[in-house]
Amino acid sequence: MYCNRIPDRPDERKRVWDRVDEMARANSLWVTAYGTGCGAIELRPLHTSRFDMERFGIAMRPTPRQADVLIISGYLAVKTLKRVIRVYEQMQDPKYIVALGSCTINGGMYFDSYNTLNVLDRYLPVDVYVNGCMPRPEAIIDGFTLLMRKIKDGQALGWRHYRENLDLYRNNQKEIIHDWDLPDYNW
Amino acid sequence: MQKQIADMIKDMKCPFDEVRSSRGYLHVRVPSDRAVEVLLGARQRCGMKVLQLISAVDRIEEDVFQLTWILESSDDRSILMVSADYPREDCSVPSLGEVWPAAVAFERELREMFGIRFPGNSRQEEDFLLEGWKEIPPMRRDFDTLEFSMRTFGQRRERTHTDPRRYIAEITGEWETPVPMRKKEEK
Repeated sequence: MYCNRIPDRPDERKRVWDRVDEMARANSLWVTAYGTGCGAIELRPLHTSRFDMERFGIAMRPTPRQADVLIISGYLAVKTLKRVIRVYEQMQDPKYIVALGSCTINGGMYFDSYNTLNVLDRYLPVDVYVNGCMPRPEAIIDGFTLLMRKIKDGQALGWRHYRENLDLYRNNQKEIIHDWDLPDYNW
Repeated sequence: MQKQIADMIKDMKCPFDEVRSSRGYLHVRVPSDRAVEVLLGARQRCGMKVLQLISAVDRIEEDVFQLTWILESSDDRSILMVSADYPREDCSVPSLGEVWPAAVAFERELREMFGIRFPGNSRQEEDFLLEGWKEIPPMRRDFDTLEFSMRTFGQRRERTHTDPRRYIAEITGEWETPVPMRKKEEK
């Protein structure tokens, strides 16, 4: 069972109360436990006591329905992109994407591979890129603090861009996913 | 073990080259029409009960695919590798999926990556890793991965050079080679 309707365009942010909302959102980022590449292994030190991302209110959630942040951790194959689209579209608004590693920025060491994407933000709206191969835990924490700052300033609006330009993103996604068998929108 | 297997192959009146042998390890090359016979003989008569891997090498200069089956004995952990050359055009190799169930997955992978057909494998038409692949199989050496990647996934910005020193010099001005630190003079 799923809803196949394209989502409505969100309202512009006008209310004063939004500032309070954004403050609250920025200080409790919940991350979908979903790893796509080698970065999924490199994220583990962040959970443990040495780097401890719970200091910043960042916690892992087992399901996309409960999460705000999707981490694209490293190289993304076409087959995985299909699953990532499903996961991303099932998350509740507002939602943010943090992309780790040089693979997501320009392909990195897999720039001539037959199966990995070179430019991630053609297919999904990325709010923060963290470079490195792989980035150290300190760099990832730095990326998260940048994301928090962007949320507080009301600039982390990738989810809104995705909704408003859904056709553009869909076209780009369908260009490389040849056996498209997803619904029009995965709620 | 090597002697036992060599005797077995001689019993079959099958010509073979010994590529390499050491303690508990034997690599033989046999004609392509006798390869399956040798593999089944090694399983029945020498106790090589475990199929570890089926791999293929694209020898485009000789216009052949070299297939290698790696068997392991569950008794004394000795290893037998059997190689055979198959013609590259319309390559077809008998399936071993009914003898070793693990072979089904290996053969599906080879079917997808090299386009080698395995008649008798019940699942060979299913997608393994690449979903909806439309080009020639990607592990063949006449497949140009760089050209495919640029055509399909594109680039963020075209690379004019790959010299990090020149890149830094263009951004920050002149790049000076760091001088290695001198050792402290002993008092």
